[in-house]
Amino acid sequence: MKAQRKIDVYALTWRLPIILWQLLFFVGPVVFMIVISFFVVKNYRMTEAFEFVNWERMLTRGYFWDSYWYTLFIASLSATIAMIVAFPASWALAFRASETQRRWAVFLLIIPFFTSYLVRTFSWYVILAESGVLNAILGYVGLGPFKMLNTHFGTIIGYLTLTLPLAVILQTITMANIDKTLIEAARNLGCKPLATIWRVVLPLSKTGFIVAALFCFILAFGDFVAPFYLGGSQEPTLPILILDTTKSGQQWPRAAVVAIMMMATLFTIAFTAIVLAYRKPKGTNA
Amino acid sequence: MKVRGSNVALGLYVALIFTFVFAPIVFSLVFSFNSQRFPTIPLGEFSTEWYVKIFNDEDVWKAVRNSVIVSTSTAVLATVLGFCTAYTDFRYNFRFKGPYLALILLPPTIPLIIMALAMLAWLSRIGMSGQLWSIILAHSVLTAPFAMAIIRLRLHQMDPDLEAAAWNLGGTEWQAMRHVIVPFCAPAIVSALCLTAAVSFDEFAVAWFVSGLNKTVPIVILEIVQGNIDPTVNAIGTFVFLTSMTLVILAQLIFISRQIKSHS
Amino acid sequence: MTAPLVTFQNVQKWFGDFVAVRDMTLDIHEGEFLAIMGSSGCGKTTTLRMLAGLETPTAGEIRIGGRLMNDVKPHDRDTPLVWQSLALFPYLTARENVEFGLKMRGVSPNERKTRALDWLDRMQISEFAERNVATLSGGQKQRVALARSLVMEPQMLLLDEPLSALDANLVIRMQGVLIQLQKELGITFVYVTHSQSEAFAMADRVVIMSQGDIAQIGAPKDIYRAPANRFVAEFVGRNNILSGKVTDIGAKGVEISAQQGTFVAANPNRPLSAGQSVSFTVSADLVSLSTEEPKTKNKAQATLISEEFIGSIVTVFLEGAAGQDYKVQMQERALAALDLVPGRDVWLSWDIENANILESDL
Repeated sequence: MKAQRKIDVYALTWRLPIILWQLLFFVGPVVFMIVISFFVVKNYRMTEAFEFVNWERMLTRGYFWDSYWYTLFIASLSATIAMIVAFPASWALAFRASETQRRWAVFLLIIPFFTSYLVRTFSWYVILAESGVLNAILGYVGLGPFKMLNTHFGTIIGYLTLTLPLAVILQTITMANIDKTLIEAARNLGCKPLATIWRVVLPLSKTGFIVAALFCFILAFGDFVAPFYLGGSQEPTLPILILDTTKSGQQWPRAAVVAIMMMATLFTIAFTAIVLAYRKPKGTNA
Repeated sequence: MKVRGSNVALGLYVALIFTFVFAPIVFSLVFSFNSQRFPTIPLGEFSTEWYVKIFNDEDVWKAVRNSVIVSTSTAVLATVLGFCTAYTDFRYNFRFKGPYLALILLPPTIPLIIMALAMLAWLSRIGMSGQLWSIILAHSVLTAPFAMAIIRLRLHQMDPDLEAAAWNLGGTEWQAMRHVIVPFCAPAIVSALCLTAAVSFDEFAVAWFVSGLNKTVPIVILEIVQGNIDPTVNAIGTFVFLTSMTLVILAQLIFISRQIKSHS
Repeated sequence: MTAPLVTFQNVQKWFGDFVAVRDMTLDIHEGEFLAIMGSSGCGKTTTLRMLAGLETPTAGEIRIGGRLMNDVKPHDRDTPLVWQSLALFPYLTARENVEFGLKMRGVSPNERKTRALDWLDRMQISEFAERNVATLSGGQKQRVALARSLVMEPQMLLLDEPLSALDANLVIRMQGVLIQLQKELGITFVYVTHSQSEAFAMADRVVIMSQGDIAQIGAPKDIYRAPANRFVAEFVGRNNILSGKVTDIGAKGVEISAQQGTFVAANPNRPLSAGQSVSFTVSADLVSLSTEEPKTKNKAQATLISEEFIGSIVTVFLEGAAGQDYKVQMQERALAALDLVPGRDVWLSWDIENANILESDL
């Protein structure tokens, strides 16, 4: 004799809102975007259809693939640079700074995430310009002027604005959680500082580092501001392609194709990275 | 000594990183009071010209009004949604809880430009695009995970017996919610309101796509930047920075101070 | 005798595959101080939580005052609980904490305040009424938690290891407070603890639980002097347990042949037959030590291993034939008179009526 299961109004009150809301305004949009990639545009109007014309159009064009590989390359490059540039700072914060200093550093580095990326990018625009602040300073020591805007360098500076704070935060937290006695033990056994980093610290913080790199990559991969304003969009990245296709050509279905390709790429990379991050090192199957 | 030398070097390096991170913010502030149209070093004279200009610009005022409406509505909506989900995660175990949590936590991992396109297409389809509240709908999806995370963290600090203690003393589940869960989460709720407001206040990609003619402050900035070098951006930017930083610092201070209190 | 206040009828509680309470049948009487004791995971807290309605029994019936309670929600019960964690509302003052239950029941603000202040006064912490509970000491919090439950004027108070966070001196003080309160109020206390000293010091009856089962129910003295089984004998501690076979059953007692000798134990209230395996216990404080062989029937020889002093009471640990451990408790003065040396053989002896045959060997 089992008690009849009554509807728990209280539980559903808290559980249902997000389900309904996200179905309507998150799952709905994403699924619909996939759907419209099969629609056709006639006379600047989108009409329902089920055709592969947009897919064919985009995936057979050289400019799409140029843009695809360029985006992949520049996003990976900037993620790598962010990870490398961040490392010494994270090292210092994790191992040399006091608990309080570290907390303050993380606190400060969180602030940029919630402040206008657009304004920061514009600020870089002024700093990096031909007759801008940086070239003026370099001029005093007899260097330059260098062309920094509308170059890959500009794009990467923009990406770093977005990713560097995150890389430092994640690396610092990861390394601060390493058992310090392991490092002391390594040093004690005659391990040189660099070898200690390579043999002890990096293997122990693998998961955190891969996740950090992944986040840096995702941020750069999806950003259109840096390549547009600082990189001059001479080589359009995929986000710029989406922007142009949507805003100027009314070609939402084609933009959807680009967006889906981006998402597929991101999920593949994220999945691979997470598998790598959580895979146990060889010889520890216990 | 060797270690001290390396400490100094590392300290300088950390300073360099912070300089890089905060340089654009500081320069924007400095340029906003600089008379030059195209700022460089040496700086021009001190001037409030750009502030006067935006102060007299009706479009800017309209955008500010829109931004305030959007970010406050978004904050309330996202915090309510985040609270419901955080509480459900805290209190209940059920089948498909993983997908349930993924539903709220996934949106921030999808690039904004993709969300923007998807939102634009979908909201136009169901006749909801081009309005101020189109931005609110979209932003609530994007910011609810932040609210959820903050409130979940706070619930994690709660003695799990506390809610049961309220039932035990004769409170219904609803009363326990009203008199225990909500008051306990109050600091996190305020933090969540501040943070989601800050995120919404700065978000431009999705807002730009779905807003139609209703410009928010970031959209105005985007449009000015697209035109040409115009130092009014620095003045607006400084205003935007001050707003979001105030919100973020407030959020962190409220949350951290509570954490310290609850540990002592 | 009046009907019991609470009855558990074949109550079971399963968490998935784990059995927390196996098959509990138990009466709790009005006005008694009942302690439920056991080590962690024995089901004692689950039992208490089922009483409060925080867990629903998987099978069986729980009745309070004759009413079937299985599906009654916690807030519809009159079973306030003093939590192990105290579960005070950290954002409220002491007074607001005490008022909480009254507020939930819709008592007017003025009456709430009066009753809360009365109770805080009674618990001698009225001076802290307007202080945030987070700023109070452990003992003060404890009193707030008690006041918060008792202000509800319940028929029965549930206590879940309420003293476990306090230091030893404070525990003794609070035990006194609890005993006094229970006498004055005349209500039922159901007190869950892992501490034998707390249970035995306060309770009228003690329920000892082991792995979801009741191992023994009885007055503290009975459990102490006559443990029902090996588990209780060992759990209660300070018991010597010997095993052997019944050789003779007479009017004076049961003769048991063990590896350590032949002993006579008091007649149990169950039938025994010759040749049956039995165990019996002798409390450590009822064993005498001597250097000369005693004249009594119940005696054994053993070697001194070590001594443990707690105040003026000494526990002497010895080892006898076939690796048998013995414990003897005595006054420090009496031990000094014996002049024992480690390694030296001594004699233990005890009276027949102090040798208690266990009801079951488990």
